[in-house]
Amino acid sequence: MDILWSTLLFTAKWLFIGLIYLALLVVLLAVRREMGLQVRSRVQTPSTAAGRLKVIKTGSDPHLRPGAILALDNETTIGAAQDNRLTLADRFVSGRHAQLRWDGAEWWLEDLGSRNGTLVNGRPSPPHRQQPVAFGAMLTIGDVVFELVE
Amino acid sequence: MPERLRFVFRPLETLLLVIVMLLGGLGFALVTAAIQLRQETNPIPALSGALLPPAVLALALLFLHLLLQWRGVEVEQVILPIVGLLLAVGLTMIWRLRPPEAVWQQLWRGFIPGVSLMAVLMIYPRLVERIRRDWVIGISLAGLGLLIATAFFGVVDESGARLALKLGPLPAVQTSELIKLALIIFLAWYIEKEGEAVEGRARSLRWLRIPAVRYFIPGLLYVSLATLALVMMSDFGAVLILGALFVAMLYAGFETRIFLTVAAVGLGLSLLVGLVLAFTWEIPAVIQQRLAAFINPWSNAPLLIDGQPAGVTIAEGPGYQIQQAIYALIAGGLTGTGLGFGLPNNIPLAHSDFIFAAILEELGAVVGLALLAFYLILLLRILRVAVLLPPGQQFERLLLVGISIHFFIQVLVMVGGTINLLPLTGVTLPFLSQGGMALLVNLTEVGLVLAIVQRLEAPSP
Repeated sequence: MDILWSTLLFTAKWLFIGLIYLALLVVLLAVRREMGLQVRSRVQTPSTAAGRLKVIKTGSDPHLRPGAILALDNETTIGAAQDNRLTLADRFVSGRHAQLRWDGAEWWLEDLGSRNGTLVNGRPSPPHRQQPVAFGAMLTIGDVVFELVE
Repeated sequence: MPERLRFVFRPLETLLLVIVMLLGGLGFALVTAAIQLRQETNPIPALSGALLPPAVLALALLFLHLLLQWRGVEVEQVILPIVGLLLAVGLTMIWRLRPPEAVWQQLWRGFIPGVSLMAVLMIYPRLVERIRRDWVIGISLAGLGLLIATAFFGVVDESGARLALKLGPLPAVQTSELIKLALIIFLAWYIEKEGEAVEGRARSLRWLRIPAVRYFIPGLLYVSLATLALVMMSDFGAVLILGALFVAMLYAGFETRIFLTVAAVGLGLSLLVGLVLAFTWEIPAVIQQRLAAFINPWSNAPLLIDGQPAGVTIAEGPGYQIQQAIYALIAGGLTGTGLGFGLPNNIPLAHSDFIFAAILEELGAVVGLALLAFYLILLLRILRVAVLLPPGQQFERLLLVGISIHFFIQVLVMVGGTINLLPLTGVTLPFLSQGGMALLVNLTEVGLVLAIVQRLEAPSP
């Protein structure tokens, strides 16, 4: 094998390795750049909410009955004030207490900064923070307890 | 909603694919020239024939690239070039290790059908939704049925394993590859469908939440049947992959950590069953051989069970394959001997299971590490798509998790086996190893990823 060919093969080998690393470099730079970008979903969420509230404990609200089923809107505000979608007359419910939101797949609960807080399965929900709620979860609002059912 | 399609440029993908095409052509030319020169012949006349396979690869990649641009997909320009690069390196190595027919076989049996399926999935991304709604039961039952049929009626290969099913005049089908994709699709559908019921009806025992067992039974039954069939076929690599997919997808699919506990209990139980089997029944000879080779790769004494040589796929002793792989790593060193200048064919099965050892010998650790980096980026990019999907699409998300874990576990097991960090298990390296069916399944999985990617909108800065 003459010197010309071996030089050529040596160069080609390093070109081969170089091309692989060039590709790796370009990929890494692109991945790094994309980390700062926001990618949104193309699909719009459907509009019908799937889910209802079942009354488990009525608290001091005289209008509620245990076992009753309450319908929910896509965005259901809950509180003592009359402009809420779901008005509760319990003593421990704040004016604007909590909100349930349907995103097309699951329910999200947000405590709207209520005085006595909102419990999900007995655990306090942090105020002004949305958290997903699974079907079957127990929501405690004031002294009233609901179960989120399908 | 009418689909709005407009042509978009994917400049990053174009640049990367040009690099990949150059790489493929260069690799094939380099291998051909080196082999001709070692036979003391003039390499120029052979070069033109050597450029045909990389041209097929380049044309197919260009086709997929144009398809994505025509579909107006702006996001995720990295996955396709990475797959192309792995394919280019893999085909180069097969060209080096095997006669040219092997490369053509890989192209016709695995690559071309795989690219066609990818194209169909990219043009009709709604097919993913169709699979979820209508076809999932058919696909999973067909996968399981074919696997069980193989366990009973499959063709026995030279190592004594029944891996392939031959139906009439059709070429033999490796059904153990199909079951992996079938399991991913089945589990994604099953967890989406029953997950809420399982979690919602979980009973609380203080800190421990016991999930409702009866919702588990169909899923467990499916996995157990597939595992049994694979054990009958003595394809333990596939058993490992199935188990890993099961645990990973359960973990990804449920919110409560109880399922990690369930998985751990399952693993513990299977270990127990394994131990009991080890004392009462006989461990399959393949596993004994692999363990012996893992513990002492330098032992050349053939493994004897009841005085008979057992599980002998390699006459030179259980450790021979790993010995040769270790010699290959040493010969390769940091930058390799150069394509065509090593002796990778000394390793048994260098073209399929041990292709990573062959790459390390001829291209060196630099290229080996770069390929591992590409695999890692591929895993992370697929998981990124899963994270960016809108909240409702649990099936698609689990599908992506399963696919990325499938790639990842294959790389982990095979690279670990090659460098003797794990007991050797016969699986293929995705996109690198020779194996038509494995390539077809892996390309279909990439097609699913690129179909689901189309649900993401272009990024805004």
